[in-house]
Amino acid sequence: MSLLTNLIEHSLDEGYAEAAARRAAGHEPSSRNGWLFAAGLVLIGLLLATAALQVRNRAPAAAQARDALTTEIGQRTAATDQLETDVQKLRASVAAAREDALGLTSTGSALAATLSDLEVVTGAGAVRGPGLAVHLEDAKDAASDPRGADSRTEGRITDRDLQTIVNEVWAAGAEAIAINGQRLTSLSAIRSAGQAILVDFRPLSPPYDVVAVGDSNTMQRRVVDGFGGSYLQVLRNYGITYTVKTRTSVALPAAAGLPVRYATVPEQPAGNS
Amino acid sequence: MIAAIGLVAGIVAGLFLEPTVPLWLQPYLPIAVVAALDAVFGGLRSLLDGIFDDKVFVVSFVANVLVAALIVYLGDQLGVGAQLSTGVVVVLGIRIFSNAAAIRRHLFHA
Repeated sequence: MSLLTNLIEHSLDEGYAEAAARRAAGHEPSSRNGWLFAAGLVLIGLLLATAALQVRNRAPAAAQARDALTTEIGQRTAATDQLETDVQKLRASVAAAREDALGLTSTGSALAATLSDLEVVTGAGAVRGPGLAVHLEDAKDAASDPRGADSRTEGRITDRDLQTIVNEVWAAGAEAIAINGQRLTSLSAIRSAGQAILVDFRPLSPPYDVVAVGDSNTMQRRVVDGFGGSYLQVLRNYGITYTVKTRTSVALPAAAGLPVRYATVPEQPAGNS
Repeated sequence: MIAAIGLVAGIVAGLFLEPTVPLWLQPYLPIAVVAALDAVFGGLRSLLDGIFDDKVFVVSFVANVLVAALIVYLGDQLGVGAQLSTGVVVVLGIRIFSNAAAIRRHLFHA
């Protein structure tokens, strides 16, 4: 504390007192060096003005950079959406052409039937049927801005929550699931980057809708009575609201892509070697 | 009088010339401003105390800015730049406050 006391008591530069003492003793003539003084003050004024300008100019620059990034994100997202609709259209025409080609022979028809069954299971094709919708919403008081310093994270749905719920819906007998319109496939991953939840590297924004196709009543019973129900109850304690509703008919889109680059079908059936 | 003219001339020159601060100098600008404010308040107080001295004023201003910048530079090199900046601001801030209090006592006798 003596350091602070010393600082407060000797707040005035001791040079002033010493200079005054020297003047009083007559060692030094009290010549007022006006030019030096003026130069010092000009320097101080220059410094203050420069600092003020600096602060004022820097804020818009940061805002501009952020606006530019936001616009770019919007543009890229729109481009991705456009490409995705293109993919869906092309895939539909490919499917139609394939149907036509395979329909020419009886083995072809059988192959086409197997193919569409596989498409449903893998998520490569759009499906429709009775289903279940789990609607999840963040707590009201959860900070909406994830960059906020005091952001309350406990009221926010995490990737782990979505993983658990999706798992429970699969376990309850779902045949196909989509989250906010993103179809889950055998290659899907639900993960988080920062505060955003990504499904197949596409960011989702709350609220979250987990829509599944399957026996709606059985699925609802299993989800609500099983581990999923108690998990949702725990989430409710954090202020997260949810509904589990049966739907007579839901339509799930096809997944954006099922890229397989390295895996190939072995020539010998697996397990024989 | 000369003080007011000098200060205004400096501010006007700064606003009109808009000197661009080089990037490596930018972290030291806030520190320099606080050091300048400390010198100004110290000068005002000594003026009211009747012991003002031009040379001490200018030399203490320049020396304070340089030492403050040096401390922050050293901190940046050692990886504790933010903490040392805080230290400089705290020390100079305490001085500014107690000098301002002394000026207030002089002017308002309260």
